Amino acid sequence: MKNKKFQKILDAILIPVLAILSGLVLMGVLIAITGKPVWESYGVLFSKAFGCEKASNCAIITTLERATPIMLTGLSAVVAFRSGLFSIGQEGQYLMASVVAGWLGYSIHLPNGVHQIVILLACMAVGAAYGFIPGVLKVKLGVNELLSTIVLNSIATLFIEYMVQFPMRADVSTTAHSPIIDVTAQLPTFMAGSKWGVGFVIAVIAVIAVYIYLWRTKSGYEQRMAGQSKRFALYGGVPSDKAAIRAMIISGALAGLAGAVEVMGVHRRIMTGFSTGLGFDGVTAAILGQTHPFGVFIVSILFAGLKLGAQLGLQLKLGIPRELGGTIIGFIILFVAASKFYEGNIDRIRAWFKKPDKQKAKGGGD
Amino acid sequence: MALALEMKGITKYFSSTDVQANDNVNLTVEAGEVLALVGENGAGKTTLMNILYGLIKPDSGEIIINGEEVQIGHPDDAIKHGIGMVHQHFKLVPSFTVAQNIILGMEPNKAGFLSPKEENKVVKDLADKFNLPVDPKAQIRDLPVGMQQRVEILKVLLREAKILILDEPTAVLTPQEVKELMEVVRDLAKMGYSVIFITHKLIEVMEVADRVSVMRAGKNVGSKKVSDTNIPDLARMMVGREVLLRVKKDTIQRGKPVFEAKDVSVSDVHGLAAISHVSFDVHEGEIVGLAGVSGNGQTELVEVISGMRPLDGGKVFLNDQDITQANVRDRRNAGVAHIPEDRMEVGLNLQTNLDENLIISRYNQSEFSKFGFLLSKSIHRFAETVVNSFSISAAKPGEDISMLSGGNLQKVVVGRELSGNPSFIIANQPTRGLDVGSIEFVHKTLIEERDRGAGVLLVSVELEEIMALADRILVLFRGQIQGELEAKTATEEEVGILMAGGKLSDLVSKQPESGKESK
Ligand SMILES: Nc1ncnc2c1ncn2[C@@H]1O[C@H](COP(=O)(O)OP(=O)(O)OP(=O)(O)O)[C@@H](O)[C@H]1O
Ligand SMILES: [Mg+2]
Repeated sequence: MKNKKFQKILDAILIPVLAILSGLVLMGVLIAITGKPVWESYGVLFSKAFGCEKASNCAIITTLERATPIMLTGLSAVVAFRSGLFSIGQEGQYLMASVVAGWLGYSIHLPNGVHQIVILLACMAVGAAYGFIPGVLKVKLGVNELLSTIVLNSIATLFIEYMVQFPMRADVSTTAHSPIIDVTAQLPTFMAGSKWGVGFVIAVIAVIAVYIYLWRTKSGYEQRMAGQSKRFALYGGVPSDKAAIRAMIISGALAGLAGAVEVMGVHRRIMTGFSTGLGFDGVTAAILGQTHPFGVFIVSILFAGLKLGAQLGLQLKLGIPRELGGTIIGFIILFVAASKFYEGNIDRIRAWFKKPDKQKAKGGGD
Repeated sequence: MALALEMKGITKYFSSTDVQANDNVNLTVEAGEVLALVGENGAGKTTLMNILYGLIKPDSGEIIINGEEVQIGHPDDAIKHGIGMVHQHFKLVPSFTVAQNIILGMEPNKAGFLSPKEENKVVKDLADKFNLPVDPKAQIRDLPVGMQQRVEILKVLLREAKILILDEPTAVLTPQEVKELMEVVRDLAKMGYSVIFITHKLIEVMEVADRVSVMRAGKNVGSKKVSDTNIPDLARMMVGREVLLRVKKDTIQRGKPVFEAKDVSVSDVHGLAAISHVSFDVHEGEIVGLAGVSGNGQTELVEVISGMRPLDGGKVFLNDQDITQANVRDRRNAGVAHIPEDRMEVGLNLQTNLDENLIISRYNQSEFSKFGFLLSKSIHRFAETVVNSFSISAAKPGEDISMLSGGNLQKVVVGRELSGNPSFIIANQPTRGLDVGSIEFVHKTLIEERDRGAGVLLVSVELEEIMALADRILVLFRGQIQGELEAKTATEEEVGILMAGGKLSDLVSKQPESGKESK
């Protein structure tokens, strides 16, 4: 029994692990072509991503901070994908919630503790509403959720830019940004000099909550069944339409939470160019993480680390453009997509793992 | 005659399911011979053929073709050595024409351009040569299943196969199509081709094959000349015990009506009338057999009764309650069970485990969920109960079902649907693709349910199944009830005439002709 479980986990992580290794090897090749020292690059990349030289300047802490919004948008994508909805609306939901967080942070004044909770809830509500739209369009009118979320993403990108440039603009002399939010609206951090804080805890709680929701609750079960087989769900009497809309609402709320955490914990305002594609990183993390909350947890940290390592390590130390980080991630995705490439070999690896098992089964006489 | 094929000591173990699918199997086929391959669900027939066709690598064993040992690692190798396979689930492109499908991958090349004319001609010549008429220009999706199968066979013949593997070719065919296929197979054998014919219907073995090999639990337990054996003998070899080919059934007093359809009309997916003005009822303690050639509205009627499809007119009642507007869940809660005709796509979700498949229509019950949370322990216990009481030995609670054989999958569906004492059971083709032992099991279970007092609507295109189980027979023809017969006095001939759209008055008969409801 235990062995089977282990086997399943092994199966699930085999492809991502192989993809990541292939991506890293390819990175070495690229660096070698540019004539930079390959081994040193790896070292720098890892130490700047996951190392910790001294407590005040700890790379892994920054990585965890950067992973937080990716984790949440990743979970958002997991909830949608598991329900058979290819929604990539995370970016839009995230941006809409960010506007609300930025605005409520300075426009209302509430005691510490209350203020934050109000903003968190408001952001989830806004994200949920922004997810509800494509959900209802899909169920009632059959509008493809991929297309509608793309459109809604563009609207949100323009909307946040408008809000920053005009109604919420704080200071006309510098680049456009909104006022700094009240201290009561900020999420506490764990240590001075870093922005790693309560937001990360929220994300970890969300990872566990999404897992429990999808696999332990009735509603999650309905969503997965409807997502895996429409005909089966219809046959069994699962209310698929309700499940789809619910999935979009939850997905939106999670992406909204990402916006709240990013504004309240990291930037403490919104500014021009706020959209850096964290929503799309979430989609990628979900796919690479086998559309599983725990997978998303690991992959988002890995992604954040790669980006950070590329930026601080490769670029600053070795003068290798940090875009290489993005390139590696791109390669990794490509390798996952081309997972057929590994399949033959995987079978061989599996057979190798299984050999002793078979002998056991035979020896045990059934 | 010369041996066309010899398989020696083929062994295959599947680690993921812990199954010894093939265990030192030997098999021979002569040139010009039809070899029937029979065996219980999960006996390893498909695995053996997949090995021969290069889809699965055996752990050990040799394949010898025309006296020479060959290595087959890929279907391309198999084709090269003259082996062709028609899978149970056809692999045609629905939007392509017959010719495009047959030629696919070996198009006659005119400087890089396709030449439909040329293609059609090649296919036409091929069809003539083998006396298998097809319309090269017809689109696959417009063709009946029997015709699609013919296309698959032609496809294999074009690739110059000398040994044809047909995996359960008759499972989805109408009786007429089966007859035609048998002739095709016999003709091919006469031309010197070898055919390996997998089937669960022993009567087909007797009709079409020269020799038969029986598999059980991964082993070849015997090969015999068809002339030296008979159906009960084969059934015993397959299952390893005596099998009732026709289950025993006592006559019992039927009770009050449990289900009633009144003037029901339904359209099919294209919006055309599939069922028009159909009325009938099913009583407690009664099996009503709905006979008919497939495609006469059975699918739509069953979907309406189960609540999966809205109806155009009429009403349906369950225990005197109007359930016309009730959704699937309400109907199920009210005691409707439904064994669908398509277990792979409709009846089961192959992407998830046994437990989650078993609760699809009951996860809302307080036994399986509380405060919105699933009670995994009691779900697991339920899975164990179902597995034990329906002896689905291959299925294990908590584990995936995607690798179960057809018969075991059907047992999962039957076990789920018949647990919890339903009052009305819709059984649509409940034994399609099952081996004789499993058929016996399903038939026995349905009769037990009837004896318990459930009403059963048995929809089947198998006349024999209807004759064996039904207390009352309705015949569906072109969306209407062509006639009703008491099973005790009905003859196969009478049902056959009604199925073909004839009237009983065409036959000298004591049965009153009736398309109406007998109250
Ligand atoms: N790819 C696979 N991986 C793991 N187990 C498999 C695989 N294919 C088949 N099996 C298992 O091997 C056994 C033999 O299966 P096979 O499909 O050959 O049976 P079959 O005789 O064709 O049955 P049926 O009459 O139901 O089609 C079954 O127990 C099945 O679960
Ligand atoms: Mg098979």
